[in-house]
Amino acid sequence: MKFAIALFSAAHAPSSRRALLFAQAALAGGHEIVRLFFYQDGVYSAANSVVTPQDEQDIAQQWRALVSEHQLDGVVCIAAALRRGVLNAEEAARYQRNAVNLDAPWALSGLGQLHDAIQDADRLICFGGP
Amino acid sequence: MSRSLLVISRQAPWSGPSAREALDVVLAGGAFDLPIGLLFLDDGVFQLAPAQNAKAVQQKDVTANLQALSLFGIDEVFACSHSLAERGLSAPDSAQPLSSEQISQMIDRYDQVMTL
Amino acid sequence: MSTLHVLSHSPFSDSRLDSCLRLCGAQDAILLCGDATYALQAGSAPFKALEVSAVVIFVLAEDAQARGLSLPEWAKSVDYPGFVQLSIDHDKVNSWL
Repeated sequence: MKFAIALFSAAHAPSSRRALLFAQAALAGGHEIVRLFFYQDGVYSAANSVVTPQDEQDIAQQWRALVSEHQLDGVVCIAAALRRGVLNAEEAARYQRNAVNLDAPWALSGLGQLHDAIQDADRLICFGGP
Repeated sequence: MSRSLLVISRQAPWSGPSAREALDVVLAGGAFDLPIGLLFLDDGVFQLAPAQNAKAVQQKDVTANLQALSLFGIDEVFACSHSLAERGLSAPDSAQPLSSEQISQMIDRYDQVMTL
Repeated sequence: MSTLHVLSHSPFSDSRLDSCLRLCGAQDAILLCGDATYALQAGSAPFKALEVSAVVIFVLAEDAQARGLSLPEWAKSVDYPGFVQLSIDHDKVNSWL
């Protein structure tokens, strides 16, 4: 089965971890994830500037590891990311900001990528809130 | 055949970017000529309230975007009758009121659903 | 057609569960996760609402365990592979974000 997974919450929200564990379970079950799309506060789950205390789970890092290991298509909504200060090097340069807190394996792109994934997948699964 | 998406918008218009970002999902789908429906539910029906003034809180006018829906080919715009009545709102011109039963049947009709 | 409704907000501070129950079709099911599992607090209003409802109720096991909630016989516990399977068994998933 082909899943499109959309995340709407930051890495510190329990729903971000829930989405991560769902994605891991889907892959372990032999299913395909056509795309991860991070929207609204979900863009914070892709930020590489998150610092987690050593005795806590680093969910943002685990997302990066999952995307890299399985070579997933990880897309962060560019409009939602700019609004929340989540920038890759290109956007930081474009808007003359000092901080760069997004890099590979994530790509910034538009909402068309969400719709494209919905068209491609058998199921859309959204995670967000608490 | 494109897969259809029903977006259910539950957020009041001036409580942060959530309502606008839900609408952006709808407009983006319309721009790609996809079959998209929009349902206002719970506090989302406040987006349809009359005499709103975005300028009072220095915001962009969400209602202007609602006017744009038909330009983007989004004709399936609904509002939950129960949510409207609960909040003392009358049926708006821009959305078709639906009973809970009708909403349940409509969710069945769409391929995917996203509640924001 | 069937929908799996996924809830994660506490039913004591939020209207999502009420709205969800109102819109649930005959084939639908609800998966409680996160703070939505507090609906299983015995004797509470949400507990009673779920108990009398015809909707099939699933619970994400880890969230009920974390909160020290015991499951009534009408609620079925699932783990993450079970969650994935539920999303396949239903035609679509509606997460109440």
